[in-house]
Amino acid sequence: MLVAATENISLKRSYALVEAKRVSNLLKSESKENIIELTKNFNWKIKSIKDRIGSLTYDFALHFTDFLKNAAIFREKEWKLINQVLVNGEVFLTKNRITRLLEEEVRRHIEDKLSIKVGSLPQKLMNHVEQLNLLFNEKRGKTSFEDFPKEVDITAFPPCLKSLYDATASGQRVSHIGRFALTSFLINIGMSVEHVVDLLRSFSDFNERMTRYQVEHIAGKRGSRTKYIPPRCDTLRTHGICLEMNEICRTISHPLPYYRRKLRAVKAEVPS
Amino acid sequence: MGVKKIETKTFVRNKFAEYYQECSSNILSPPFIEKREFGFILFSERMMMLRHKNFKNIDTLRSFLKSTISSDVLYSSAYYEEPAAEMEEKGWLGADLIFDIDADHIPTSCPKTHNIWICNNCGATGKGITPTQCSSCKKQNFKEKTWFCELCLTSAKEETIKLIDFLMKDFGISTKEIKVAFSGHRGYHLHVNNEEIRGLDSLSRKEIVDYIRGIGLELSFHGLEKRRDRISPILSGSDSQDLGWRDRIAQGTYNFILTSSREKLEKIGLKKKITNLWINHREDLLRSWEKNKSLRHIQGLGIEKEREIIQQGVENQSAKIDTVVTTDVHRLIRLSNTLHGKTGFKKTDVSITDIDRFDPFKSAIVFKKGRVIIFVSDAPQFRLGDDIYGPYNNEEVELPTSAALLLLCKELARVKGET
Repeated sequence: MLVAATENISLKRSYALVEAKRVSNLLKSESKENIIELTKNFNWKIKSIKDRIGSLTYDFALHFTDFLKNAAIFREKEWKLINQVLVNGEVFLTKNRITRLLEEEVRRHIEDKLSIKVGSLPQKLMNHVEQLNLLFNEKRGKTSFEDFPKEVDITAFPPCLKSLYDATASGQRVSHIGRFALTSFLINIGMSVEHVVDLLRSFSDFNERMTRYQVEHIAGKRGSRTKYIPPRCDTLRTHGICLEMNEICRTISHPLPYYRRKLRAVKAEVPS
Repeated sequence: MGVKKIETKTFVRNKFAEYYQECSSNILSPPFIEKREFGFILFSERMMMLRHKNFKNIDTLRSFLKSTISSDVLYSSAYYEEPAAEMEEKGWLGADLIFDIDADHIPTSCPKTHNIWICNNCGATGKGITPTQCSSCKKQNFKEKTWFCELCLTSAKEETIKLIDFLMKDFGISTKEIKVAFSGHRGYHLHVNNEEIRGLDSLSRKEIVDYIRGIGLELSFHGLEKRRDRISPILSGSDSQDLGWRDRIAQGTYNFILTSSREKLEKIGLKKKITNLWINHREDLLRSWEKNKSLRHIQGLGIEKEREIIQQGVENQSAKIDTVVTTDVHRLIRLSNTLHGKTGFKKTDVSITDIDRFDPFKSAIVFKKGRVIIFVSDAPQFRLGDDIYGPYNNEEVELPTSAALLLLCKELARVKGET
């Protein structure tokens, strides 16, 4: 309740993660039966198996929807659905991997519970809440990123966005998802709505009113007022936008950090 | 009967109106109609969509279709608390899992010579796949007029059959939960109505897309590990149990070994000597692959080339679904038994057991009565039912209504009169 009352999203996240890790540590020594018992709290469709395929012995078969609800957010290749043994709707998993999925389920569950609005508490408790907030911010230190420079530097674009940019500038056909990726990227690195609309002008199906509306929407100046961030690398790969990867690509999983890193590298090369 | 002079757009609109007057009872309610958003492309305002409509039941939808004539009728794969509200206030409750296989976005066995491109800058035109750069003025800005042929739709059907196999074998979805339909234009749609899948978010659906498209597959997770063999490392698998993608990799690579031509192998970058070995020892290679998933019969192939070859097998087995449609949890999709504004065909449900025999150029035809005189600018040859039409080039022809309507909707002709 105290954590929920802080209304501090990062603090809630950290708390949920720590609690979840604690649970998964406890689970490591639990029997298969007890683990299955626990998953009932989350309505998982799971059964105990003992199947040896290749060099691995699988202990559980979990319905793919329960798998995806927890694993889709993981970025490691070994968690991609395509890299699982999936038969008749069930993903075969070892006990280790089931506990990792359970940890994620618990984390989400706690985070959900913490998102409730706690009304005003007695002053004495509120002091504790205040203290928690202060302590957390102190420990966490400053992690906020510096802003992108005002001038957009095309040479620091990741290969996928560079090729979208070039295609757009020369009036070639670019898919909707490609246009979205480019627009949201440019807005996020600081290009103005005006500039982006001008760039999109070269499309043969350009419609000023419609384009401006869409770009403003992505920039968070309309509708829900949320600024859209570009899709992550994995998503760009799904939609065939990521065509070639370079050295930096292998170290990041999102186009924005790529731009940030490349800018730094460029800056280091050219002393001003 | 005399010939009536009539404007093309009005003619098409009247035909569509006629269909909805007579056949609206064929339009059935999607599950939970009251929780869906509907969208309509209207004849009066071409290109603008009337969105955020909602109907309490199928009868109110049918009366709407009779009174407001649309060129296209769409509904949301999603369920909402308030389907008629603005996007942010709708309250998303879940969505059917939907797939779109469009002949325009997949490699088909047809050379697409029925497609025309026009350079927006200098007006140069050509047939086939649109070039990246205009040969006359070097600009990269084109307009396209596309057509779809038997081969296009057969390829789309083959991909649909592969998709059904994935859904049933790997995802454990039953035929009762799957609905397949010919879209009325260039491909097929597939809907999965399953309670557990309904709540999956876009990220989870992306994983399903990657699975079916074969994106991000790592051979080492499928039993194909790097092992040392005499001199050089090779890929090989040893398990006898072939499940999920393991089975598909095995099958796809087998097919590739069986059918790979010299040309194909050289395209992958195999040296002449290796290609010769491959062609001469194909039988041994097939046996070795079948027995222990190994291509070790070809000395000097190299592990990278091995990977590329197996990747060809993956490519061969994956189903070429549209990646955007499936990951979009707010998507609007055409309603079955409504007309397609670009063809005048209807979106037609296909039974899974009969999909092999399904003939879109027969089953999707709607206007079976009357004939129309039209002036055709340029149209390739095509078949409707048992009759072949065209090709036509700047000529006046009298055609059955369905054939005429197809050319009118594709904007390849204009109406001269109705007989």
